[in-house]
Amino acid sequence: MTREGAVDPMTPVLETRGLGRDFGALQAVVGVSLTVRPGELRAVIGPNGAGKTTLFHLISGWLTPTLGQVLFRGHDVTALAAPARCRRGVSRTFQITSIFPELSVLENVRIAVQLKAPGAFRLLGGRALLEATERQARESLGFLGLGERAGDLASTLPHGDQRLLEIAMAVAQEPELLLLDEPTQGLSPEDTAATVAVIRQIARERHLTIMLVEHDMDVVFDLADRISVLHFGQLIAEGAPDEIRANAEVQRAYLGGLD
Amino acid sequence: MSRARAAALIAALVLAVLPWVLARHQLSLLTDLLIFGLFALSLDLIMGYTGLVSFGHAAYFGLGAYGSALVLIHFGQPVPVALLAGALLAGVVAVPVGWFSTRATGIYFAMLTLAFAQLLYTVAYKWRDLTGGSDGIAGVPKTALFWGGPSLASPRAFYFLVAACVLLSLAACYALVRSPFGRAIQAIRENERRFTSLGRDPRPFKLVVFVIAAMFAGLAGALFAPFRGFASPEVMFWVFSGQGLMMVIMGGIGTLIGPVVGAMVFILIQEILSSYTEHWMIFTGAVFVLMVIFLPGGLVGTARRLAARV
Amino acid sequence: MLFNLVEQLLNALALAGLLFLVSAGLSLVFGILRVVNFAHGVFYMLGAYLGYTTVAVSGWFWPALLVVPPIVGLVGALLEASTLRFIYRRPPIYQLLLTFGFALILEESVRVLYGNTAKGIEPPPLLQGVVALGSNVYPRYRLFLVVLGLVVGGLVWLILRKTRAGLVIRAVAQNSEMADCLGADVARVRTLVFGAACALAGLGGVAAAPMTTAYLGMGIGVIVDAFVVVVIGGLGSIGGSMVGSLIVGAAQTWGAFYLPETAMVIMYAVMGAILVFRPWGLFGEEE
Repeated sequence: MTREGAVDPMTPVLETRGLGRDFGALQAVVGVSLTVRPGELRAVIGPNGAGKTTLFHLISGWLTPTLGQVLFRGHDVTALAAPARCRRGVSRTFQITSIFPELSVLENVRIAVQLKAPGAFRLLGGRALLEATERQARESLGFLGLGERAGDLASTLPHGDQRLLEIAMAVAQEPELLLLDEPTQGLSPEDTAATVAVIRQIARERHLTIMLVEHDMDVVFDLADRISVLHFGQLIAEGAPDEIRANAEVQRAYLGGLD
Repeated sequence: MSRARAAALIAALVLAVLPWVLARHQLSLLTDLLIFGLFALSLDLIMGYTGLVSFGHAAYFGLGAYGSALVLIHFGQPVPVALLAGALLAGVVAVPVGWFSTRATGIYFAMLTLAFAQLLYTVAYKWRDLTGGSDGIAGVPKTALFWGGPSLASPRAFYFLVAACVLLSLAACYALVRSPFGRAIQAIRENERRFTSLGRDPRPFKLVVFVIAAMFAGLAGALFAPFRGFASPEVMFWVFSGQGLMMVIMGGIGTLIGPVVGAMVFILIQEILSSYTEHWMIFTGAVFVLMVIFLPGGLVGTARRLAARV
Repeated sequence: MLFNLVEQLLNALALAGLLFLVSAGLSLVFGILRVVNFAHGVFYMLGAYLGYTTVAVSGWFWPALLVVPPIVGLVGALLEASTLRFIYRRPPIYQLLLTFGFALILEESVRVLYGNTAKGIEPPPLLQGVVALGSNVYPRYRLFLVVLGLVVGGLVWLILRKTRAGLVIRAVAQNSEMADCLGADVARVRTLVFGAACALAGLGGVAAAPMTTAYLGMGIGVIVDAFVVVVIGGLGSIGGSMVGSLIVGAAQTWGAFYLPETAMVIMYAVMGAILVFRPWGLFGEEE
């Protein structure tokens, strides 16, 4: 399975222009304009309720914006629904683990590969497709250290491994933009460290762009090239980790919650 | 894989030999069991593999029965033509019904299928000119295997037709659930939201499997009409849909062979109990309730679990 | 001309009253137990048949209204406590199937007890005959149904909104684990609500019997209608059930008058449209 096109370093992978989303009277995301360059690892942080997950939903197509645009690799994808955006190259994980519980670990990842491939609809045979997708799935599982559990039912995995499985599914799709929504949520320190190592390895070896929503500041400062800070749905700061760390407004927003 | 193949071969051989072993009325019962087994099998496709609970699956059995009956009575075609007609009629109706129903999920889907099935039942009941109303269509003949071919009037001949249809359908369904499409619908059952986020809208998949299942149910109905000699609205009634659900659960949801077994067990129980009381439905209902609570895997599901422990 | 309209309006309201009695319970059970009670229609039928028996035994209609709903409610509560209670944690399909099993058992039981023929009930003398509306007349019994629907609806709303019991019920509906931690006996609340919903359905059956007779198959007929009401109004919303009942009652009444064969089709079309565009109904909660 080859990826179409080389990554053009000039065109941003993701650009949002004045992105906004209301829920009745609640403005979850307000006027967010950001640009993410190819190969970047961008962390999105902010206090609870700042609109981070909503922003991810808007980027991945899970929600339609009330205002603004989303551009992926220079193309306006605002009108595209989530499945189409995924096929264009935006893969994501969810804040609450969302896998296929009664399917095997291997099948979870294999299906992720299959759904992006042409021929997902094949009614008969399709053995070549099944074998090819399985090979790719095994590779992805191995990359994330889940190779030995390939045959187990996904529901039998401990929580930390399930989060890794979700990442494996997204990575196996060979996306251009990978959205990770709180990948270390609920993980023990050991699992957190393992996940951080995995994400770093993905960033290094897989030539994709990563956006990360995180609450754990250690993880954020460990991994991020740049950080965007949301507060009440608005982008209040953006920059390199050191700049953000020193930013007074950000500190105020967290009210001392930064580390 | 080869253990399943060996089992299939043995089953086919047994089915081939039985006509010479069984008495006439027993062969007739076996034919009945196979037809309902096919009906339950078709329901398992959407219920066990896609996770769609349909309360209106009987409608497609009924459409198959009526389609086949009309072709046989009015056009005197060979039975396979009637089978095709019945299956196609069921499939064609399933397209709009499925399109609407799959817009909804869970209980809403179930209710939509029930409502549509009741609608179709009412049409069958009231459209006397076409369907014979509450009397149905009687005197459906068993014609020939093909134009100028051997007659299927003998119980043995018709039995072989039914057995062949059921075995072929079973094989087709096995192939289907192992195909990429089959894997996809199982993923839909497990987590539709995740499926969507991985790049495909689940609705076309659900519609396709819905129509395929309807066609297999239609095939079962199309066999039923010439076998029993009639088609009537009862086979489209919600009670029959419900019995289908019971067969699937009793046999083992999501196993394909389980529902076939479940259907056979169900009909056998009905046969035995009904000779004691005309209210066998209460006992069957009670057994069903108990199975839902204590043995959700059904007969085959539980057997497999026990076998895995040994 | 004007009277025709008024007459149809009253017919629609009467039908809506009946539908409300059945669908309110269904909506409650879904909102609070997250279970769709497939047997709900059969409890309605049970109410009608038990009403017939009460009238046959006592010679009076009014006692039936008081006596039958609690009995039906009790049957429902017993079924819930002995079976449904144990499978709440399972995927919803099993609960659906279980209530379906109830439906079959109850339907067949009624057939065992009463046979295949329909049973009629005479309305009580007070509600027989017609009432004068200007220079025209209208059946009293139907007016009674309108009033009954409004009264019961009001009572249910009052209980849910203004009493402590109602508060507990709503708490369990919103977050059963939290309610459990706070001391609410969740299991008992569930049984109570299930029983109450069945009692409402039973009341609907008793009320309907003088008009429609008690017959096998009235359960399935009403449940499809009730589901249409609940889909339109929103599963879990009593107010939605009221509005939904009015819409369906009106559609069926006017449909039956102007387009008899297609009335059902129209209803299914409306339901289909709602399921496609706004599946949580007019008043339900988006999930």
